[in-house]
Amino acid sequence: MTACTCMFSIQCGPVVVLLTVLQWAGRGLPSPVRPICDPRVLDRFIMEARDTETALRGCKAGCGVTGTFVVPLTNVDFVVWETKDTEQQALEVQSGMSLFGQALGAVRESVSRVAVQILIDNNKSNIHSLGQVLRSLHIQDLPLPPAPAVGDLVTRKVSSLSELLHVHTNFLRGKVRLLLTNAPACQQNST
Amino acid sequence: MTNNNLNKLLVFCVLFCAQKTSIVHGAQALETKVALLLHAEPENPKCFAEGMSDLTCFWEEDEERAGSADQYSFIYTYQNENSSECSVTALPAAGGKRLYFCRLSQTQLFVPLDIRVFRDDLLIHNRSLFIEVVFLLDPPANLTLTSTGMQGQLKASWLPPSLKYMGDSMMYEVSYAMAGSHIGKVEAVQASSELILRGLQSGTKYKVRIRVKLDGISYSGYWSAWTDPVLMETMPGDLDPLIVSLSLIISLVLTLLSLLVLMSHRRFLLKKIWPIIPTPESKFQGLFKVYGGDFQEWLGHSTGGLWLRPTYFYSEEFPAPLEVLSEVSLGPVLPSSALPPKASEALGEEEDEDKKLKRVDPALMEGWRETPQEHWLMDQLRAIHKHPAPWTQSSLLESHDAYVTLNAQNHSVEEPLDDILEETLPLQVLFASGRTSSESRSDLGSVQQSSGSGRLSSQSSFEYPNHTWPSKGPGYTYMAVADSGVSMDYSPMSSNKIDDIGKGVIYTNEYKNEIPAHRRPIGTPIHFAF
Repeated sequence: MTACTCMFSIQCGPVVVLLTVLQWAGRGLPSPVRPICDPRVLDRFIMEARDTETALRGCKAGCGVTGTFVVPLTNVDFVVWETKDTEQQALEVQSGMSLFGQALGAVRESVSRVAVQILIDNNKSNIHSLGQVLRSLHIQDLPLPPAPAVGDLVTRKVSSLSELLHVHTNFLRGKVRLLLTNAPACQQNST
Repeated sequence: MTNNNLNKLLVFCVLFCAQKTSIVHGAQALETKVALLLHAEPENPKCFAEGMSDLTCFWEEDEERAGSADQYSFIYTYQNENSSECSVTALPAAGGKRLYFCRLSQTQLFVPLDIRVFRDDLLIHNRSLFIEVVFLLDPPANLTLTSTGMQGQLKASWLPPSLKYMGDSMMYEVSYAMAGSHIGKVEAVQASSELILRGLQSGTKYKVRIRVKLDGISYSGYWSAWTDPVLMETMPGDLDPLIVSLSLIISLVLTLLSLLVLMSHRRFLLKKIWPIIPTPESKFQGLFKVYGGDFQEWLGHSTGGLWLRPTYFYSEEFPAPLEVLSEVSLGPVLPSSALPPKASEALGEEEDEDKKLKRVDPALMEGWRETPQEHWLMDQLRAIHKHPAPWTQSSLLESHDAYVTLNAQNHSVEEPLDDILEETLPLQVLFASGRTSSESRSDLGSVQQSSGSGRLSSQSSFEYPNHTWPSKGPGYTYMAVADSGVSMDYSPMSSNKIDDIGKGVIYTNEYKNEIPAHRRPIGTPIHFAF
């Protein structure tokens, strides 16, 4: 740009302006995202969550984590699940992921051991990545559940880190996987 | 109406049969799964899920202690939910056992399930499990083997269990082995419905079977039962070009090696196949080529080659024994009356020579005693040596391999030598004096005495290749002897003789050519060889 300014001081001016405008405009435009339908992506998240659960199961005194955490319910009745449409399924999944994100955030602040912190950070990163995967399947981000009443139907409380991680693993294996496996965007690609 | 009734009856029968078949099949499948879980699952009750919304639990008890199904209660509780009860059924089992079943038709996955079994209000079993990790699926259906069109390959395809949401979580094990063999291989494949088996033998029948299991990430469970084996034969093998080329190279190498061996042993083989007809031509030089087989003419023109050719003496005729007798006898000199028979035979044509020899013999006799006659004898011998032709006519040499010459130096011995060696003409000269004993004529094996005159020495004909007998002085009398190597026996002389000999050479009976060194006259060559 400097060279251009020096050498072509007359012609570079409009070009620079044009490039700047285009760059600014490009940030706002959503780029088309290819649907992430490979089940191995979620499988990796599931395995890492299981590894974290296994690693912190023997943590003494709960790794110093105290308090209660609100977690979603993980039970899946296929008969009932199939009666729900994709949006309802997505709502359950996204609200549950949000609850886990909050709980893991609170855990991260209360632990002091570096090894535990690394594991918790990894799981939080995976939760964020899952959000990206859901977005790629054209499952729009939904606002957090506003009222606890809604959350009572689909939530419960846990009081230990190991139980929190255990529920987190079950949630990923169940509802999240069912949603991703049967997402309409992936069904269209397979057929 | 009748037709309608018949149709209905027919449909009913078909449905009944089908249902019965399915029931039977289902019963067999259940029996198989029960057997599998009894082996694989240690906890009680043993539970398995066959589909997306079912759970079957069972436990086993001995017939003796077993009660009725009413006595048992199966209580199950999902997490954060109220307990529920399942009705228990009983079925007889093999080995004096009884099985109690409970089956749930609506289940929740990804949530803990607590199970408690009571018998008459007594808790007998307690277990907590996740249903999504106890799947026990049916074996894959429609296992089919097809040819891929390539050598040593078969394609196995099957129908995955029809479980929604779980197709990408299934993994399979394909077991294949040659028909009739118990040793096989297993290949694993995941989330697929076909597999190409490679590395198979051509033109061989293989049996293939398969089983399925969930991969364990989201869903897990036990290995299903194996399918019934399916047989198929692979494509017949063509001639592998590599094998053909290697075979050609090996055969070429073997051919070359055999040719080399044959060439190296061709003479031996030729002799065996075409044995050479022996001809005497090598022994009779020029007999056939020059004289056309006329032996008499050949004899007349042949030179002393016989004597010069050692090969002549290596004929295959049996060697005749050689006996050389040399005695110093005190008795009167016997007249030389007879020659050795062979010598006489050989010299039958040489009567002149015989007479000459006989005339010489008395002289020889005297010569042994007196030196002047000895000189005369030497002269005679030299004269004979100068004309070796008659020697060749001696047939005595036919049977002998080597010459043995005895040089006898007679100075003081009174008795003449009585050597008994194989005659040549010189021998005849010497023996004409009659010193040869009758035994020695044909017996060539022993040399009884070699020294009547003191010193004896023997010389081998080999040392004189040209057959020029060197004159060694008046003290030596030469006798060319052909001997086949038979032992020569030198009999010990009498004590008187020994004394007379004094410093002469004494040959003992031991034919070792051992001459006491101190007794050997200096300068006397002693060579004795056969």
